[in-house]
Amino acid sequence: MKRSRLVSILTDAHLWVPVGVLILGIILLMSLR
Amino acid sequence: MTASRDRSTISLHKLGVFCGLAAAVWLGTAEAPTKLVNAGFSPFLISMGMVMGTFVARWTVPTLLKGTGFLFADLRDKPHLIVWALLAGMLWAVANTLTIFAVRNVGLAIAFPLWNTNSLVGLFWGWLLFKELRGSGVKGWSKVLGGASAIVGGAAVLAYATARQSDTPGKAAVGIIAALGAGVLFGTMYIPYRKAYISGMNPLSFVTLFTFGELGAVLTLGAIYMGGFSHVAAELHRARPMLFWPFLGGFCWVIGDLFQNFAAKYIGIGRGIPLSNTNQLWGLAWGALVFAEFSGLSPSGKALILAGSLVMIAGAVSISMADPGASELVNWKQARERECERYGLDAEKVGAVVAGDDPLAEHPPVRRWWEAVVMFVAVGIFVWLGIGTRSQHLAISMPWMIVLVIGTILPLGLCGTLLWRRTRFS
Repeated sequence: MKRSRLVSILTDAHLWVPVGVLILGIILLMSLR
Repeated sequence: MTASRDRSTISLHKLGVFCGLAAAVWLGTAEAPTKLVNAGFSPFLISMGMVMGTFVARWTVPTLLKGTGFLFADLRDKPHLIVWALLAGMLWAVANTLTIFAVRNVGLAIAFPLWNTNSLVGLFWGWLLFKELRGSGVKGWSKVLGGASAIVGGAAVLAYATARQSDTPGKAAVGIIAALGAGVLFGTMYIPYRKAYISGMNPLSFVTLFTFGELGAVLTLGAIYMGGFSHVAAELHRARPMLFWPFLGGFCWVIGDLFQNFAAKYIGIGRGIPLSNTNQLWGLAWGALVFAEFSGLSPSGKALILAGSLVMIAGAVSISMADPGASELVNWKQARERECERYGLDAEKVGAVVAGDDPLAEHPPVRRWWEAVVMFVAVGIFVWLGIGTRSQHLAISMPWMIVLVIGTILPLGLCGTLLWRRTRFS
């Protein structure tokens, strides 16, 4: 993958919103065990 | 770019609404086969069986409709979206596991409406990140937000009425947090959906990738909860006689999910997701009419079910009538242009695909030999699971089952034909 495309992905808010929610979801799930 | 002469001229809004409603029918029907699973298996295992069924079907249906050449060309064109498709699959897996905790701790009556708020979460993300509903005015807002709220409210009434018979014990706070968490995760899952479609990705390609994130996350979670992959394998082996039913449910789920994806593409997540969330009505119809689950329900319970259903239908009608106006469509276009600029996509081509006129769709798919192998393996897995399968002994109303099966197949035929005639499944 081109470096410029990688930078575009990593600086995209559309990526970090779901990633953040996923991390919180996994933490929640682990705390329910 | 214009559609060819033999294409249908139905508006994309109407097409999206039909897809949302067809999604509800199939997602609701997906619950029916799992009712035939014998008692004694954990809900987690049943969920895993469904995911494995969806994995098989998600590879075969797109391959059958478009061919692997089209799918790979679509992925090569927008490789950045692979990240979002996998992410969406993982979000689904974690959310679905949370729903199991929620149902266990607070029961379906409280849990279902709480995670059904995912449509409101999706509506918020659609507004914030993709400019959905911007410029739609008070009228448009009230139709969509009012409709989505009515669907959540109707779900609350239905869930309360149908679960009054059961008495699920304690740990309420944990269950409520799990259900709300599932709602947020499901609602956030629609961010990748919408991003893919305003970038011109085909829903069939998206779901093919989605399923890897989903299966990988479910197997990992399963291994964590069951104490390793060897225990997962042992449990699946023990469950072999009943696996056909969750697989069949997974197959129905894939059809519903595909329609949901086409709805998200053509009317956005703010409108498409609440419509497909009316699936509870169809699950209810199977439970009440075919499995006679509510035969002992009091008249007040039946009245509640009727009221909840009517509220939900009213919400769906309200959203169906909320066509995006010209000023909202300008905002949709801006969101699309952002993707094109950021990822170097061909704006004209993406515009055509978003409008249902994918230039590639006019060419018949080039078939490869391995597609026949994929089909053969998929059918073989279902036949193998079907042989020697066992089911719970339940009294089933055959006339109602025939009616509902016809009522399920009709939207598939109607919507499938509309999608083909208007967009060639693009």
